[in-house]
Amino acid sequence: MKSKAVEVVNLTKKFGSFVAVDNLSLEVYENEIFGLLGPNGSGKTTTLLTIATVYKPTSGEVYVFGHSVTREDYIVRGLVGIAFQDPKAMWIDKPYDLLLWHAKVVGYSGNEAKRVVREVMELLDLWEHRNKYFYQLSGGTRKKVELAKVLIQRPRVAILDEPTAQVDVLSKHALWDVIKEMRKQGSTVIIATNDMFEAERVCERVAIVHKGKLRALGTIEELKDSIPRGDVVEVEYEGVLSSSIIEKLREYGKVKVAGSTLRIYVEKGEEKVLEIVDALKLSGIRTKKVSVKEPTLDDVFTYITGAKLREE
Amino acid sequence: MGSALRDVLIVMQWDLMKLKNQKIFLAMRVTWFVIQVLVFARAVSYIVKRAVSELIGVDYYYFYLLGVYASLLYSTGISRGYIVAEEFDDGIVEYHLSLPVKRGVLAVGRVLGSALSAVLFTLPMMLFVMLIVGLESPSSISVSTVLVSILAAVLFSVSIVGFVVLVVMGVRSTDLTDILMGAVDAVLIRLSTVFYPLPIIEASGIAPYYVAAALNPISHFADFLRILVFPEYELVAKHGVLPTLLYIAGLAAGLLILALEYYEKKLEAGGWK
Repeated sequence: MKSKAVEVVNLTKKFGSFVAVDNLSLEVYENEIFGLLGPNGSGKTTTLLTIATVYKPTSGEVYVFGHSVTREDYIVRGLVGIAFQDPKAMWIDKPYDLLLWHAKVVGYSGNEAKRVVREVMELLDLWEHRNKYFYQLSGGTRKKVELAKVLIQRPRVAILDEPTAQVDVLSKHALWDVIKEMRKQGSTVIIATNDMFEAERVCERVAIVHKGKLRALGTIEELKDSIPRGDVVEVEYEGVLSSSIIEKLREYGKVKVAGSTLRIYVEKGEEKVLEIVDALKLSGIRTKKVSVKEPTLDDVFTYITGAKLREE
Repeated sequence: MGSALRDVLIVMQWDLMKLKNQKIFLAMRVTWFVIQVLVFARAVSYIVKRAVSELIGVDYYYFYLLGVYASLLYSTGISRGYIVAEEFDDGIVEYHLSLPVKRGVLAVGRVLGSALSAVLFTLPMMLFVMLIVGLESPSSISVSTVLVSILAAVLFSVSIVGFVVLVVMGVRSTDLTDILMGAVDAVLIRLSTVFYPLPIIEASGIAPYYVAAALNPISHFADFLRILVFPEYELVAKHGVLPTLLYIAGLAAGLLILALEYYEKKLEAGGWK
């Protein structure tokens, strides 16, 4: 049985009359990369900040390795490290000073702190920016400084709130590798994101939250499979489709024909594709090209919530 | 070294490390202070010298210099409130609350760190005042006078910063912080003995003004420095050096404990306006 790193139990967080998180329950297993997905304002950050003891639950409870965030907050803070969505620094701060202070706060002694700060800054290509003022840094570089804090800390639970927002594409891939490496070295990683591509590339399990409520939870495959007839088998063919073969194909799902392309919306497309090709062959239809397309996490989100993840 | 003490010292470095990025602000402040001491203080003391100096037994110029330093330290301590408010605005408080230190340690470290950085920021000005007084009245200044003055400055600064931190976290609004701090600043400086000696205030016949000035922490700090440098001033201040120091220390301890309580029991991020 997998051990729980984080357990959120009926968590509700209100700010005045506004309900940011509404009776949310979920579990994050030790040493997994867990994604918290949802649009802006869905309650992701509030949930993460409650896990990190920055917010106090209005009701419900959160446990980190069995320790309560309300009663054992100090112990929890020793287990959790967080990279915030908005980099936390004043315009007059310098990255090296900030990170050196951070290293000392999380337990490194003088020389050890300097060594680990340099190592992490070099890993993230931050060393050349170490003595610049924060206002002189690009958005992506600021995000890296935020991520550096977690890499310095090496917490048992690393919380990354939109870690690659504002980061260029090349750096994004490098940061994803860094995140995976953190997991390899023993950290449980929780990522909040509304970047579905990032979630698919990095996360093993995801929770979809919308308007403060948990709407779905599982592996990415499980969530994709949860959409009825979410896969698309697309066939380029030669020949004439008779009404009988179209009727036959409708047993698998909705059928659309456009020119010489046939689309059938099915469940578990990878299992059905051979049957469909066989059925076409028996009807004298020659298939030129066949592909199976899975729904994206965006499709999953839209299906579950009826909303789009990103504003268009 | 105990873990809590180590953590307090590290948290204190948050405020201290920022001092080195404020060289330009410090240079500007020192320049203006030197001009105030050498030009305006001379002018004002020339106007009132004879009448007031005879009444209080101390050259008004020295009275003014020690008072103006007290007001400067007070204003620098108050300005910590704006920085804390800015930190709330920028979400830095969220970062601090996520760190693996106890809330109490965070409170004590921030208040002490802010207080110490305010004292360090104003230290060149204090030393300049001591130098001016020492040059003209060598017997008044010794190493111990300077060291005790610095200690008193730290205690006074702790009380001011503790007060400001409590106000800022209580109102949780940048605009309200601006208004409140402006009002408190205006009232406390004016209702103090920073520029006006207590006997003069008493002679004005406005009883609330006299009571407020006599109880005012800024008056106590300014008068403590004056008594330290000119012991004969004790008769004018109407407080002994020890009671005055105890007042400053008690206020610092009380406000530090209140800030600690607030951090431990009530503080969480969010809700900033």
